[in-house]
Amino acid sequence: MNWGELLSITALTLRVGAVATAALLVPSLALGYLLARHEFRAKSVVQAVIALPMVIPPVAVGLGLLILLGRRGPLGGLWSGLGVEVVFTWWAAAVAAAVVGFPLLVRACEQSFAEVDVRFEQVSRSLGHGPFGTFLRVTLPLARRGVMYGTLLAFTRALGEFGATTLVAGILPGRTETLALGIYSRVQLGDDMGALALCGASFLIALAAMLVGEGWLRRGVAPPGSPMSRR
Amino acid sequence: MRPALALLLGVLPLAGGAGAGELLVGTAVSLREPMTKVARLYEAEHPATRVRVSLGASNILAVQIRAGAPLDVFVSADEELVDGLQADGLVAARFALVRNRLVVIEAGDAEFHLEGPEDLARPEVRYIAIPEYAVPVGRYAREWLRTRGLLERLRERIVPTEHARATLAAVDYGHADAAIVYATDARVARSAIVAFAVAEEEQPRIVYAAARVSSTPAAREFMAFLRGSTALRAFEAAGFAAPGPAVAEPGP
Repeated sequence: MNWGELLSITALTLRVGAVATAALLVPSLALGYLLARHEFRAKSVVQAVIALPMVIPPVAVGLGLLILLGRRGPLGGLWSGLGVEVVFTWWAAAVAAAVVGFPLLVRACEQSFAEVDVRFEQVSRSLGHGPFGTFLRVTLPLARRGVMYGTLLAFTRALGEFGATTLVAGILPGRTETLALGIYSRVQLGDDMGALALCGASFLIALAAMLVGEGWLRRGVAPPGSPMSRR
Repeated sequence: MRPALALLLGVLPLAGGAGAGELLVGTAVSLREPMTKVARLYEAEHPATRVRVSLGASNILAVQIRAGAPLDVFVSADEELVDGLQADGLVAARFALVRNRLVVIEAGDAEFHLEGPEDLARPEVRYIAIPEYAVPVGRYAREWLRTRGLLERLRERIVPTEHARATLAAVDYGHADAAIVYATDARVARSAIVAFAVAEEEQPRIVYAAARVSSTPAAREFMAFLRGSTALRAFEAAGFAAPGPAVAEPGP
């Protein structure tokens, strides 16, 4: 284990986590808002299905993705026809991380939006903002703290993803080997110093992320001038 | 949030993806040291190519190839796995690379010493590390135990490990009392010692196969390099034997 290897594994892990989280953000906001503001008949079913990737074994998620994205799978077949391979690339790791982090972010968004008083939105609408403008200028800023914390949780969950990733991305050094996968393969090889070095990097990233998150929670990240900044 | 975001985005371009001059070689984990060395030797001769060695159990690497993993070359610890891939049209060319042998190892600080196969059934030997049947070394070891009539008797104490090196590590770290590994693995043991070698006439036929999966010029070039004398010297230095003339070599 040299510094170059440690850095490139860490950078790959952060990239996978960042791409996964970025891809989740808009769908999670939309779905979270929908669930927080609308009642519909199958709502609890939808909520349960969304929560599934969080509660079923990650390796089962991985198998599902492998079937879906693999060369002979419905999506993979389509893509490989276009010359795009997803399985066993870092994109596969990002997809796995996104699927597993999705419930965390949707739930965080839903709860944060539910806490926003509907009257603020009604006032905004009465003053001439459309639904989208109201969401961007009123609802999202008020829900910002929870959404950001949820984003951070999904990001850190993505960084540590192992079970699903190992199936869809494999442990290919320099291509798909993230910190979690690298720790596992080094333990299997009896390379405990390498494994511990990667553990150390994971620990530092997780600690930094959690410190940032706690800071957000303590300061309250509501923008100045908004109703929540009075808290 | 802005500095954190900037940090994340800044990291994005850092980790390079699959470059054009990159060769991914899926390698049976028992070849770890010599194959890493061969990769460096190849890079020295071909500075434009970066060789990445992906280590794993051969059966897992074969599963990855079937699923579409972008491996260029596959070096398997058994020929059957390559036969299967070839039958499915996933292997373009292959040859027998090296041979290996089995030994039984025990913990270096054990209070007992295993003299021969029957000693594996002694009550002090509580855990014996052997991979599943699907893993080449697991199949070789289990076949040998079966011919000795020991497989059923030892079944209760066999701890399945992931691959050859995990098997070695299990004894090195004291998790298992004994294991059946390749003779080449025993050479890189930290604390485990060779208890006894599997008798010559009982040795299963262990032949490693090199297979070309992709059709890039670099993959062809690397296959030729693997077959050359430079690579063979590296393998022999690690304790592997030349494949020998008796091994059939289906054409390229």
